[in-house]
Amino acid sequence: MKSELNQLKSMNLEPLKPMNMDHNGRNRKMAFALGAVMLLLAACKKDEETAPVPTPPATNEEEVITSLELHFHSSGGTEHKHFNWRDLDGAGGADPVVTADTLSADTVYMVEIVVLDESGDPVEDITAEIEGEKEAHQFFYQVSGSTTTVAYADADANGQPVGLMTTWTAGAPGAGTVTVILRHEPDKSAPGVSTGDITQAGGETDIETVPPFPLVIE
Amino acid sequence: MRCILHLLRSLSHIHYPRPRPHLLVFKRAILPFILGAITSASVSQSACDHVVRGAVIDDHDGEGLGLAEIRVVELARTVHADEEGAFILDALCAGRYTLRAVHVGCEPVELVLEVPRSRPLRIRLEHHVAELKEVEVARERPDENVGHAQQHVDAGAMSREAGKGIAEMLALVPGVSTLRSGPTIGKPVLHGLSGNRVLTLNQGVRQEDQQWGTEHAPDLDPFSSDQLTVVKGAAAVQYGSDAIGGVVIAEPVELPRGSGTSGELRTLGILNGRGGGANARLQGGIKGMRGIGWRVQGGGKYLGDSEAPDYVLSNTGVREAGLSATLGYRDYRWNASVYNSWFSRELGIMRAAHIGNLTDLRNAIESGTPWYVGERTYAIEAPRQQAAHQLLKTEAGYAIGPRTHIGLTYARQSNDRQEYDVRRAGRSAIPALDLSLITHTGDAVLKHWLGPHIHGKMGLSGTSQVNRNIPGTGVRPLVPNYRRRSAGVFVLEHFPVHERLELEAGARVEAADLAVAYYDIDDVLRTPDHRFTNQAWSVGANYRTRDSSEVRFNISTAYRPPHVSELYSEGLHHGAAAIELGDPDLASERAHKAVLDLRAHGCGGRLQADVTLHASSIDGFIYLRPDGVSLTIRGAFPVFRYVATDAFLTGLDATIGYRFDTHWKWRARGSTVRARDRGAGQWLFQMPADRIENSILYTPAEKGTWNALEFEATVLSVFRQQRVPAGLDFTAAPDAYHLIGISAGATKAIGKQRIRFALRAENLLDTAYRDLLDRFRYYADARGMDVVLSITWSFGKRMDG
Repeated sequence: MKSELNQLKSMNLEPLKPMNMDHNGRNRKMAFALGAVMLLLAACKKDEETAPVPTPPATNEEEVITSLELHFHSSGGTEHKHFNWRDLDGAGGADPVVTADTLSADTVYMVEIVVLDESGDPVEDITAEIEGEKEAHQFFYQVSGSTTTVAYADADANGQPVGLMTTWTAGAPGAGTVTVILRHEPDKSAPGVSTGDITQAGGETDIETVPPFPLVIE
Repeated sequence: MRCILHLLRSLSHIHYPRPRPHLLVFKRAILPFILGAITSASVSQSACDHVVRGAVIDDHDGEGLGLAEIRVVELARTVHADEEGAFILDALCAGRYTLRAVHVGCEPVELVLEVPRSRPLRIRLEHHVAELKEVEVARERPDENVGHAQQHVDAGAMSREAGKGIAEMLALVPGVSTLRSGPTIGKPVLHGLSGNRVLTLNQGVRQEDQQWGTEHAPDLDPFSSDQLTVVKGAAAVQYGSDAIGGVVIAEPVELPRGSGTSGELRTLGILNGRGGGANARLQGGIKGMRGIGWRVQGGGKYLGDSEAPDYVLSNTGVREAGLSATLGYRDYRWNASVYNSWFSRELGIMRAAHIGNLTDLRNAIESGTPWYVGERTYAIEAPRQQAAHQLLKTEAGYAIGPRTHIGLTYARQSNDRQEYDVRRAGRSAIPALDLSLITHTGDAVLKHWLGPHIHGKMGLSGTSQVNRNIPGTGVRPLVPNYRRRSAGVFVLEHFPVHERLELEAGARVEAADLAVAYYDIDDVLRTPDHRFTNQAWSVGANYRTRDSSEVRFNISTAYRPPHVSELYSEGLHHGAAAIELGDPDLASERAHKAVLDLRAHGCGGRLQADVTLHASSIDGFIYLRPDGVSLTIRGAFPVFRYVATDAFLTGLDATIGYRFDTHWKWRARGSTVRARDRGAGQWLFQMPADRIENSILYTPAEKGTWNALEFEATVLSVFRQQRVPAGLDFTAAPDAYHLIGISAGATKAIGKQRIRFALRAENLLDTAYRDLLDRFRYYADARGMDVVLSITWSFGKRMDG
């Protein structure tokens, strides 16, 4: 019987000592603590009631691109043509507006690309930003339905193309399309990328002109 | 086979209440108890029919403590002692159980009960109250959620899974899976629902960081909790809005109240990611100031890039750090505590998952490999996230009368998040999203006792929350600024009809006000205001058969006011490569959920089964429906609109265990969910596939100073989801996969100190797979093999009690 009792006692994880503190004194302390908590609660309530919804910062979207322009200069300097791709209201909303001049057959053009944010005033030239990060950007020109060829005419610090300047050789008369793509952080050393083949470029698309520019040659 | 039949019979057999002759027996036996003598004994013959009798007595004077509560922890079963402190536990299967005895004004005591046991049990509690002679019970935790199935990830399981996030740990509970965004971000999915449809309570306070959207993991430090509980019902009455799928509760063990200090130091080595973690914890009481307890804890984790079997998952490093401190006081009348915690996390978003437009996404899916794979590194570059969570909680309670207790809680939490995107012109160092969410919550709960057959609690709760976009991001905010205030009142009553049957009924009313401020697409400041009033009710029943089988049933309702982003999204969601459009006219989601849970033992306690059946009907279920394609200068993007439909989800979770002998055990856990969009007559998107996990567990006997030896081998099979909506996903559902895992653990006792060694290997065969619930499955395989070694040194009284 005795051993059983001991066993039972030892089962209690920790035998407890009677407490001999002054209950009243502690109660007062606890009442004080409780009061403090309620005060806190009340304080917050008041704080909330006077706080309005904070006004959000004005939307100054910094990295918007709305427009892409291609400026064509024939090798003799006689012809100046323009391609324009504009989506002024940004993502969603109205569809983009695309215009393109007609190119002359069998002509070589130096082509300069201009990227703009026309959503604000003043208009922001994004081309400089891209130029400042040449190594991390590359334009691709995808011609379809035409014998026109596009070759890179610039290079970054590593000798890899960027595509801000290109040489276009207009093909035979006819109608096709050209899609311009800007990739951020592509792998420029992957096979084919430096000659304009996007297949293994990777990176992420910053610009893709959908619908493409019409490419009409006369 | 015979034993399975027996099990089925026992489940279907209804035992009506009988008169309770044992009470008379006990009355007669009281005197010997008071004298400290032990008289009665009873052992029955058949396997799950063991009876243990006992009494709860005052350690001072040997008097019985009337109406004490005795809980069998493993069976989640509670009995009340009679007026003289005597109790009876019948219909027990053979085995080891943890008993927990609670009585108001006493420190709860836990002890181990070996069944069969022929001698009566005496539980001694320290009871101080001369002036509270008539004391009884306010139950320590009357928030048991009668009828709601609930399952735990206990301290042991949490320590076995150390190194994982909370969401991954919760996936141990059948019915819970993980919605991932690559290796670094995971959030729990309960019965097919996640995010704002699963309420997370951290230290009893609603975790608010889920207000921001799907690609955010809950900012919860796994080291700051000792137990995770999953309540698989729509427990809105008690916890308020958002508890549509259920509730996840993360909580620490109770504070120590006696003197003496205990502590723990844990270190982790993690192979996949070549990193590790550490956590230290110290707790104790103060000599001469009985009732005061304290705890401090701090730790962190550091991981580099994770690896899939065939390549490095670049930019998937993680840094985590957490600190918490608690100070509490408790006696028979008063309790008060202050808790403060801070948790910070920085994580990389897999580089290859960052894409520009739909073409990039198609390219990624077609190539089947990530477009960016770098050297393995510890660096975290953009895209990355940084989040911090801080919680201050104060709590005070007072036993107004012998059976009435009032508790007040106030908490302030701040959640901060910065997301860094890959941007031009050096802007990668400027957050593209910078949010601050500050929430105050206050609760007052009155536990009351209207008689032995009706008692419960009622309460008031209030929330005030402000979400702010920190200026300077240079990006239109995805989540507008808003202020949300809500106030709720609830009552939840328990009706213990008799020993075997307990009923519960409750109701809640909550009103919320949402004031929003944002600039629309034309840059006009708009400040709409929304009001939502919602009600919820709940009825539940627990029924226990004589052989410890238990049936729980609950039907309850829950609600969720639409989130700001569901109301006001307007633009490109870069992370999702989609244009998302909100609808300001959306109303609250309203859910009805029924849960039936059966817990049974058979074959002399060898066979254990816990089966949960659930069905929920959600009116106004908000989701993103595809709505054509929009052209931008970045190319084509799919357009998604937030729309409401009626959804119906049903499913089954089960855990079945069979103990071959004292050392070997087999366990299977499985779950399945079926979810329909009734509005569109389609399956719902992104629902977890059927899964089953089979384990063999081996627990050898102690060897010298080595104890708690355990070995486990597990095969997890996740099947292919056949039920996907047509035309909603970019690719077909991934194939089924099977992962093998093993783990081993042992504790060495050195005097009063213990060192625990645990080794765990996951995806042992380095299987390449993709999971349907991983949003990055379009870009790369999931993590490959991982090995985690943990060494835990602890001293003082065990903390995982």
